[in-house]
Amino acid sequence: MKQKNGGWIALFLAPACILFILIFAIPLVMVFVTSLFDYRLLPRTFTFVGFSNFIQLFTEDNRFWPIFGNTVKWLFIHCIFHVTLGTLLAFILYKKPRGWKFVRVTYMIPNIISQSAIAMIFLNLYNAQYGAVNSFLKLIGLESLQHNWLFETATAFPSVTLTWFLFAGYTTTLVLAQLLSTDESLIEAAEIDGATSFQIDRLVMFPVVKKMIGTTVIMAATYMLQLFSMLYITTGGGPGTDTTNLPLYLYTTVKANNYGYANTIGVVIILLGFVTMTLIRKIFGMNKED
Amino acid sequence: MKMMKRWLSCALALVMLLGLVGCGGGTDEGAASDSGSESTGDEIVINYPTFQVGTNTAAPVVAELVNRFNEEYAGQYRIEIEEVPGDANYAERIQVQISSGQLPPVVYGGGYALLDLALEADLVVDLTDVVNADPEWAAMYDNDAWQAANCRDGKIYASSSEGQLIGYFYNKELFDQVGIQPATTWEEFFDNCDKLLAAGITPLAMDTADGAWVSMLLMGAMVATSGDEGLEFMNTKYPTDYNIEPVVNAVAEMQKWYQNYTTLDAVGGAYENAANNFFSGNVAMICNGPWMIGDFSDTSKTPEGFDQNVGVATYPGGFVYDAPIEGMFVTKQDDPALEEAAIAMVKFFTSPEAQTLALEMQGMVPAAASVEITDTATTNFPLLGEFLNMASECTVRSNTFTGNMVPGLQDLFSAELPNLANGTYTPEQFCQILTDFATENAVA
Repeated sequence: MKQKNGGWIALFLAPACILFILIFAIPLVMVFVTSLFDYRLLPRTFTFVGFSNFIQLFTEDNRFWPIFGNTVKWLFIHCIFHVTLGTLLAFILYKKPRGWKFVRVTYMIPNIISQSAIAMIFLNLYNAQYGAVNSFLKLIGLESLQHNWLFETATAFPSVTLTWFLFAGYTTTLVLAQLLSTDESLIEAAEIDGATSFQIDRLVMFPVVKKMIGTTVIMAATYMLQLFSMLYITTGGGPGTDTTNLPLYLYTTVKANNYGYANTIGVVIILLGFVTMTLIRKIFGMNKED
Repeated sequence: MKMMKRWLSCALALVMLLGLVGCGGGTDEGAASDSGSESTGDEIVINYPTFQVGTNTAAPVVAELVNRFNEEYAGQYRIEIEEVPGDANYAERIQVQISSGQLPPVVYGGGYALLDLALEADLVVDLTDVVNADPEWAAMYDNDAWQAANCRDGKIYASSSEGQLIGYFYNKELFDQVGIQPATTWEEFFDNCDKLLAAGITPLAMDTADGAWVSMLLMGAMVATSGDEGLEFMNTKYPTDYNIEPVVNAVAEMQKWYQNYTTLDAVGGAYENAANNFFSGNVAMICNGPWMIGDFSDTSKTPEGFDQNVGVATYPGGFVYDAPIEGMFVTKQDDPALEEAAIAMVKFFTSPEAQTLALEMQGMVPAAASVEITDTATTNFPLLGEFLNMASECTVRSNTFTGNMVPGLQDLFSAELPNLANGTYTPEQFCQILTDFATENAVA
């Protein structure tokens, strides 16, 4: 039977496979290949240089490691603290406290607004001259705490991080949906056995939603590895490299017409993504059957 | 029934595959679409991506030119504007299209080095024969700045419509409050700044984002007037060494301006922040070109009567920016008729009539010396006439500081400026960062 349907299966899979090859596989191979070239538009250059770009990136480029560090820091912050925040809120809301539906909806709102709009809002909130943050500090007599939040080395990284860190609406929604769809008999059984509310959350409900949390961690990691417009609009990656991540560095390298080097950065992003996804899947046991 | 199902499955699979082939086949059509053009019957449609739309000061001029062109060539050619808000977005988009080899038929070069990039990719149509066949058009190339902007290796590739004379504007009321006049020397200029500061007035509008256009103009003027080495630097395309005395000294001065002479939001701010500070009377001076003059009487941007309160000046040391602006160029297309349409458009948009229109509607300085400054223009924009008179007396002229930078350096420059402003870097360290990048990305 299997053999009989093999042709049909191949035929139906063909469009998806061809599309995948055209849209993902070939460009991916091209990124890897061109990372081995000195490839520029002005002056037009396309010379094979082996691993020179990688050697330069890892050993000579003094901007790379701080930028790589920023990317990894944001990955950790987002995957751990951001997801934890969203999950904690989901665990609070699934007990259906007063106003839980209102909180569920309003907490999601920042996630459905475009990143560019959010970035503009924060750019104005943080404005050193007329921004709400400094105005508020002045109002309560804390003028000494005023900063040019997005453009001082000490405050730029945390200020930019706050523009997305608190908005864990997707995590909350997904984990909450999983929690609400769990059979209540599980909780009732635990209650009959004398489990406390905290014990029920930790020992009964958490294992139920563990894989969903894993999924949200993967989403969070993907979001961080793609993060661009928020940084581009707010700080442009500055001051210096304080708020530059790898995608933004790739973009500025492309603007310098250094395509080979940009694709080297692209390869690093792909590898970082691969390692991150593998780790997350391992930690959350996402490859195992239930 | 089973047979029927098989046939149905087979047909569905075929439809899916054909759809896929259709997508692939569409690439060619997409290329034409990407290149921004199509033919409808006998009329050739030129899709023209431009950032000169919306609130851009040149938007009314471009819209009027498009209308006039479409009327003149009705039934033959038609321009359809494709809005690309933001000049930086436009330049980035064109750069990406150059790398993919698919450009719109007409590209506005501006100050983004797009012509050289497109030439390097062999995508530009040589206009030499077409221009030389038209004496009026050819006459406009009897000008060094025009040639530098539009010609390469003796061949004509582009045509300009606008010049770039840049000085600075000042708030007369604030100047009168402290009893000062526009300075003729840098000592006097900073003395003015100190007097303004002492009176509680912030002297300068500045920025760091988007290439720090406003700040750069003031700093570049210092470099250009510092002596021969500085002037030579300012007129060098794609310099690689920024660690020279005139630049380091000017950067050191700029560091002080950020710390003492400007608004709190200058660090991190873009041109819009600087302009708003000037429009609202928060600062006394802003460096920018005459295209800003129209904004002074635009009550959606400035208070009523603000234009009466603005003065214009050239820089100390008898300096004015007189930077050539790359003109519009025609790109190579599969369809020769489309290339002809594009050439007609470039000729129309850069004709003396078009330059006069921009002068009278927007206060834009014409690119061609032969285009007279009309009474209508000086009536509409009195500041323009005043400024052109002043500019004609300037003895030192150069391109802008950022206009000569290697591609990509403006982004680095903007990102690193906050560190210069807050003292993290010394001027020497800052210049070394620029030097390292320019050397690494040198354009031969």
